[in-house]
Amino acid sequence: MLRLLRIDLKKLVNYRAFWVLNIMYGLLIFSIPISVMEFLKWLKEKGAELDGFDPMKIPVLHFPDIWQNITYVYVFLKIFLAIVVIISISNEYSYKTIRQNIIDGMSRVDFIKSKLLTILLLSLGSTLFVFLTGLLTGFIYTPNVAVSDMFTGIEFVFAYFLDLFTYLVFAFLLTVLLKRSALTIFILLLYLPIEYAITGNLPESMEFIAEYFPLHAINNLIEFPFAKYWFQEIQDYVSLSAVGVVFVYLALFIYAIYAKLKASDL
Amino acid sequence: MDTVLKIENLTKQYGRITAVRNLSLEVHRGNVFGILGPNGSGKTTTLGILLDVIKKTSGSFSWFGQPPTKEMRKKIGAILETPIFYPYLSAVKNLEIVAEIKGAPVDRIEPVLKKVELYERRHDKFRTYSLGMKQRLSIASALLCDPEVMILDEPTNGLDPQGIAEIRELIKQIAREGKTIILASHLLDEVQKVCTHFCVLKRGSLLYSGSVEEVNKGVESVEVIADASDMEMVLQGYPMAAKVVEEDGKYIVTLENGARAADLNAYLFSKGITISHLLTQRKSLEKQFLELLAESDNA
Ligand SMILES: Nc1ncnc2c1ncn2[C@@H]1O[C@H](COP(=O)(O)OP(=O)(O)OP(=O)(O)O)[C@@H](O)[C@H]1O
Ligand SMILES: [Mg+2]
Repeated sequence: MLRLLRIDLKKLVNYRAFWVLNIMYGLLIFSIPISVMEFLKWLKEKGAELDGFDPMKIPVLHFPDIWQNITYVYVFLKIFLAIVVIISISNEYSYKTIRQNIIDGMSRVDFIKSKLLTILLLSLGSTLFVFLTGLLTGFIYTPNVAVSDMFTGIEFVFAYFLDLFTYLVFAFLLTVLLKRSALTIFILLLYLPIEYAITGNLPESMEFIAEYFPLHAINNLIEFPFAKYWFQEIQDYVSLSAVGVVFVYLALFIYAIYAKLKASDL
Repeated sequence: MDTVLKIENLTKQYGRITAVRNLSLEVHRGNVFGILGPNGSGKTTTLGILLDVIKKTSGSFSWFGQPPTKEMRKKIGAILETPIFYPYLSAVKNLEIVAEIKGAPVDRIEPVLKKVELYERRHDKFRTYSLGMKQRLSIASALLCDPEVMILDEPTNGLDPQGIAEIRELIKQIAREGKTIILASHLLDEVQKVCTHFCVLKRGSLLYSGSVEEVNKGVESVEVIADASDMEMVLQGYPMAAKVVEEDGKYIVTLENGARAADLNAYLFSKGITISHLLTQRKSLEKQFLELLAESDNA
């Protein structure tokens, strides 16, 4: 297992685009909480018409709100990692190195495993980074840190991981089907509006199936949190049924990758 | 003799095209086995199936009497068509990946790079190599695992004459170590020089399979020039001459099996004719190859 991961990392560590995308991604994660606070400060300075309300008091980055808030925002950045995954796999097709890997003695399953392990590592790394950023930000901005609050809502970090990992596996599947990187990125970006267009036009009696569409299921893991600041009801937990649906899709995606690679000429 | 590779009734269909048709072959240990055939005859497809990158339509094959596995491929050094490497990685980094896949020791990298004379350029990116250098790197990569069997698909393609001679020498050297080599090529003269056995494919079907030695043992023909007016008559009178043809003042005498050019020379001398030119020609693999193809066209 580790050997397969090592092989795939050897292919990546000397690849410039890999670092460029990862660093951009990391910088964005790090800079978002800072910009949010700067924005709130700016609001406060401008805050004449806010009836003496202090925007800095909105607990956006306070424990325990922070977990759902930041993970909700951070999942939008997953496209960066999806591009890393798409490039890493489409390169194997365009350079034909997937062919040579098999000739040299990898099985097709080994190839899939080595890519999945990299995806797992990227997802875990990103999750850890988000967790640490959340912890740090929470410490800085929460007025009175109570340990009991700190880890309330931590399941959103797990949901973030599942969301990211499944999305990257979906990108893997699309690349195996389409092979070319630009086309795959384009289709991946286009897929979300298409899915929402389909579910938006479902007849009323069928509307309940919307949540079973793949990206709906993934997006249902972390619900929109900010409405609570204008006193609307939100779902402030990770729904187990969404987790279940996502696991089913994860298994389906991996099986589809396997079925496609097993039967094809390389 | 140990059977290294046994192919039985292998067929590959690409839609309506049959790239390999009902192919059966055996390769034994220590053979240098040439696969000949015109463009599109199914050489690469056959080798691709043997290496699991192309899925067969039907038939079977076995390596060392075992069904094919990835473990078996780790002991095969193989190049298919063009050299394939990560263009943004250096030779060393590329070979590290191959070594990791094959479970070969990393300290083999230095000697194989020296063997193909790429050691000086080992830290340059693959993308910056010339075609010949790429070809050499793929040979280095095939040698990395100290393979039991080497599969080479047109290994001298794109090399300079010196490179061609070196690769051929390398192939012979590896063959002398008792390794089995399977070599697909268009270059008949290459096959004749390095192979012990060969087969001929055409449009996916096997036309012929046999040893190169048999071809070399074949009839001799002798080209002679002499300044004698009765030359033709004298030659016709030679009992060991199967056929005599005149061509631009030269006579080409095809000898009966067993007769040698020296015998012909002695005969002419006894008839009082001194010759000014004598050239022996074996029936070449090329001739045999073209004959086989022509026969199959007539059939
Ligand atoms: N991916 C493919 N799809 C459709 N047909 C293919 C494919 N690959 C090969 N073929 C066909 O299979 C036949 C055999 O091709 P192959 O590459 O095995 O020939 P070859 O003997 O290696 O030729 P060459 O000497 O030119 O390398 C050809 O007719 C070719 O057009
Ligand atoms: Mg070929």
